[in-house]
Amino acid sequence: MAQAEAFETNFWKHANLRKVWDDIVPGEPRKTIPYTLTRDAIELYCASVGEDHPIYFDEAYARTTRYGGLIAPPSIHILLMFACTPADDWMRSPGTVNAGQSWSYNIPARPGDVITLQARALDKFIKRERLFVVHDNVFFNQHGDVVCSGRGWTIRPE
Amino acid sequence: MTTTFENLGEGDTIDGPTFEVSRESIRLFCDGSLDYNPLHLDDEYMKGSFGKTNFGGIIMHGMNNFGLITRMLTDWAYPAGAIHRRLETRWVKPVKPGDTIQPTGIVKSKQVTANSRWVLIDVMVKNQSGEKVATGEAMVEFPN
Repeated sequence: MAQAEAFETNFWKHANLRKVWDDIVPGEPRKTIPYTLTRDAIELYCASVGEDHPIYFDEAYARTTRYGGLIAPPSIHILLMFACTPADDWMRSPGTVNAGQSWSYNIPARPGDVITLQARALDKFIKRERLFVVHDNVFFNQHGDVVCSGRGWTIRPE
Repeated sequence: MTTTFENLGEGDTIDGPTFEVSRESIRLFCDGSLDYNPLHLDDEYMKGSFGKTNFGGIIMHGMNNFGLITRMLTDWAYPAGAIHRRLETRWVKPVKPGDTIQPTGIVKSKQVTANSRWVLIDVMVKNQSGEKVATGEAMVEFPN
């Protein structure tokens, strides 16, 4: 749980280091950090949305499935987005409002995977006086396989 | 009846789990997702306005809807031997402590491609008043 303990939960703390809408350059890569996905982290995420399928918890059961072992739910990228980015990442700016996301799933993430992220702002625009940024993201496992890829729309704090 | 690609039809429905939203459930989602944005934690901060929007108190993470829709889709797909492949969502209305939400899905169409078979599903999440809080589309693969 060392990773989780090191995670700064006060999102105000590095607020002055984060890019505001004006500073964000579409196309420029975001800084990312590799993250080892643990069984504990998967179970905590599962608890937060009520996931109870044995394929996430029961090793003996999971071995009998097409996946051959425990996996994480596809939506684990919700956690990975914050786990794979540093404290000064603009996704943590207080007041960032999520407007919607789309994700494609290739293969499941598994406990023990070392997950890396390639991410960037793809576009930014103003609509009805709101400042939008579109971000795109691809998560890979330690073998270089794509786990999932997705795009999100956020409204930036002013 | 077991769900198969063959016996699915347009308009077939999928009922997702009901989920009671509370300050505690939102806090647990912060811990599960590592998303500690003060939108979900800080009552004082939420007294302020965001542009033209005032939420009037803390709100649930939009991605909590996403996680619930995913849970519905995977719990439906696994026993059918199917694979959840895509989900796109938009948030329509904020969700607050005290709300009860439930995702549902409606089969929209089926398509066969060169190497596989796909079911397209319209998804939504409604609150206890029947208001839509999230809408979207999903794609589930039924491998040959």
